[in-house]
Amino acid sequence: MKAETILALWKRPMGHGPSLPKFLLGAYMLLAIVAPLIALQNPYDPLQIYGWEASSPPGTVGTGGFMYLLGTDGLGRDIASTILYGLRISLVVSITSTAIGALVGLTAGVSAAYFGKWVDVVIMRVVDLQLSLPTILVALIAIVTLGPGIDRIILALIIVQWATYARIARGVALSEINKPYLDAARLLRLPISRIIFRHLLPNSIAPAITLIPIELGHAVALEATLSFLGLGVPIDKPSLGSAVANGFQYLLTGQYWISLFPGLALFGLIASINFVGEDIRRRLDPRSRSI
Amino acid sequence: MREDICQEPLLVVNNLTLKHRAMAGSTTILRDVSLNLQRGEILGLIGESGAGKSTLGNAILGLLPPGFERTAGAILFDGKALDGMDERQWDAIRGRRISAIFQDHTASLDPLMTVGAQLEETILATNENVSRQDARTRGVELLRRVGIPEPRERYHSYPHQFSGGQRQRVVIAIALAGTPDIIVADEPTSALDATVQKQILRLLRQLVNETQVSVILVTHDMGVISEIADRVVVMKHGEVVEQDVTSAILDTPREEYTRSLLAAVPRLRISASEDRKEAAENSDGRPSRDEMIESDATAPILLAQDITKTFAGQGLRWFRKNARKSALRDVSVRLGRGAITGIVGESGSGKSTIGRIIAGLETAGEGKLEIDGTSFDISLPGRRSGLLGQVQMIFQDPAVSLNPRMSVGETLQESVRFGSRQPGDEKPNVAVMMDRLGLPRSLLTRYPHQLSGGQKQRICIARALLASPQIIVADEPTSALDVSVQAEIVKLLKESVVEQGVSMLFISHDLALVQELCSSIYIFKEGRVEDAGPAEFIFSHSQNPYTRSLIDARPRRFTR
Repeated sequence: MKAETILALWKRPMGHGPSLPKFLLGAYMLLAIVAPLIALQNPYDPLQIYGWEASSPPGTVGTGGFMYLLGTDGLGRDIASTILYGLRISLVVSITSTAIGALVGLTAGVSAAYFGKWVDVVIMRVVDLQLSLPTILVALIAIVTLGPGIDRIILALIIVQWATYARIARGVALSEINKPYLDAARLLRLPISRIIFRHLLPNSIAPAITLIPIELGHAVALEATLSFLGLGVPIDKPSLGSAVANGFQYLLTGQYWISLFPGLALFGLIASINFVGEDIRRRLDPRSRSI
Repeated sequence: MREDICQEPLLVVNNLTLKHRAMAGSTTILRDVSLNLQRGEILGLIGESGAGKSTLGNAILGLLPPGFERTAGAILFDGKALDGMDERQWDAIRGRRISAIFQDHTASLDPLMTVGAQLEETILATNENVSRQDARTRGVELLRRVGIPEPRERYHSYPHQFSGGQRQRVVIAIALAGTPDIIVADEPTSALDATVQKQILRLLRQLVNETQVSVILVTHDMGVISEIADRVVVMKHGEVVEQDVTSAILDTPREEYTRSLLAAVPRLRISASEDRKEAAENSDGRPSRDEMIESDATAPILLAQDITKTFAGQGLRWFRKNARKSALRDVSVRLGRGAITGIVGESGSGKSTIGRIIAGLETAGEGKLEIDGTSFDISLPGRRSGLLGQVQMIFQDPAVSLNPRMSVGETLQESVRFGSRQPGDEKPNVAVMMDRLGLPRSLLTRYPHQLSGGQKQRICIARALLASPQIIVADEPTSALDVSVQAEIVKLLKESVVEQGVSMLFISHDLALVQELCSSIYIFKEGRVEDAGPAEFIFSHSQNPYTRSLIDARPRRFTR
């Protein structure tokens, strides 16, 4: 992507006039960054949690001297604080995995195109195989194999995401490979890594880059799903998904707040990422430049 | 020519000024352009890229893309103003009274329709009260008229079953379907080989004489102009530089710009008079061309022998008609140390393939290749056989020959760093090379899209030279450039070979260019060496009919 493109993206007001998704996404990012400063309680610290205040409804004033604005969960953790801390985990996991997944996928796709023959066959058949399975299944298999932990779930999400990037990057790279500037690079007998990373990759990523914002939304949703199923981040460090799961069994008993508020937070996050992501994608996509 | 008749001109362009509005502001594309076109006349519009000649052609056709705005002047056709008409009014004119021929004959035809169906469609759309039966009869008649052999049988063929020249003939037939008064032909022969170009131009002239249609011929090629235009309008940067009858423009151009355009056209020398000394050494008696090749005393830097390459046929294996197509058959090429050797051929002759094999970019089935006494196994990929890195190339289209994501400086430094120098050799200096090729050093920080075509091609030459190769293969290095730039690049290539002590294989379709540069020439046809020998022999003594036909295809005007 050219520097001018990125600049133009930020200079121009996105979409038509101020929009809720942009505001919302900005607020989420800000809250995630300053969470430790504004959260009334550290939900990961057992010393700040009082077990006898479990499942307090929203508005209860607790032993700590502050009000549980959104109530507490079954262990007595402040829901509002859990959401703030969970947001951090959800965003870190999804952003890291999307970034690494894109990098791995693009490199794999471009390499498949460059080397051709069996390298191409092996990489692309793995891609085909993986894309023929439901995403959640691939993630489940990965988590079950890798074990629990934040680093593992990031790895699982990378495994889920790379294939799409690989397929797109390979297609573009195949058309770039026949251009004379790559012949010129070959004629200099450059190291293969240099040909791939300096010449082929930078010229093949543009279409795949437009995918990133959308994939980020998927990653947040998938991480939440895995956490909800209890396969994601550890139970003592709740992400938004596990926060929803925590209150799931109390829903029918009328303790709606334990699941509802983290669920709403998650919904708002994914929705705002998707709306803003779609907007960015449209702007980056050369085929829809005319808007 | 027909001044005595003195009729009302068919088309008048009066002080036309066109602007293009974009986000960055408005640019004047045409300024104060005036011309007129008589019935039955071929008017040539010539200029280099950016001259506005195609824009003018499109304005006459009412095909300007959005963003263009007429700020002054008018286009009058048969007394009526053309601009400001709506699409419905245009429908009555475009295709019926003014039609078009474009450069790319492949893109001009629908690949999924038979040429007959496309002709019929056009005839039915442009003529009222024509039955389908009549349309078919007229379609066949039109194909016959543009010189398609067996028109009734070929009527139901698809575009891909025709050769490039025949496709352009079909496009001309379609342009004639509405019996137009004017045909706007935008570079109609630029995508065709020289011999075919000649035939198409002859056809256009014949059609003009027979039907009194007028042609506006947009081209960058003085050769095309000299062959068929009655009058010429020379354009530069959106303005008319000069206009006159063709012979006056060619013989006594008034403007400096026209003179420079004419001077830049490479000329073919056929008489042996100018290089008689060199010829005399070889032509005592009647030497065979083999003798003449072998007579080169110095050891060659490059020797390619009996190279054969086949391509697997396309499509599913079961449906392939001939499973393996031969790209090269027993091709032998020899390049003398410090010499420039030319390889000439039309498209599909295998001339580029041999260049790529020698550079190690492609493999070949059989044959031997020796560079500076070392032989290489050309059946292996270039990286494995060690051939890759020995030879550098200069490519045809400078627009795609430079990595768009690397600055000029990065590109050239890379060439210095990874070039094939002998240990102990001095590292070439990028800045010095820039000076030598007449490039300002300030370009080093620029990116390819900020440079002109000529600058880009110079950078490509610098890249090739900075790698310090012994051999450079230049594959049509001037074909994508304007004539005036072409001449500069040719001069640079010639100087570089002398100064840097490299040897060059110059691949081209243009005989005059090859004659200007090369000491010996190979003529390729259908994957074989059809004719070969010292330049002098080829141009003055060769009896090979194919060589003669190539020489005859050159515009007479630019042959001395």
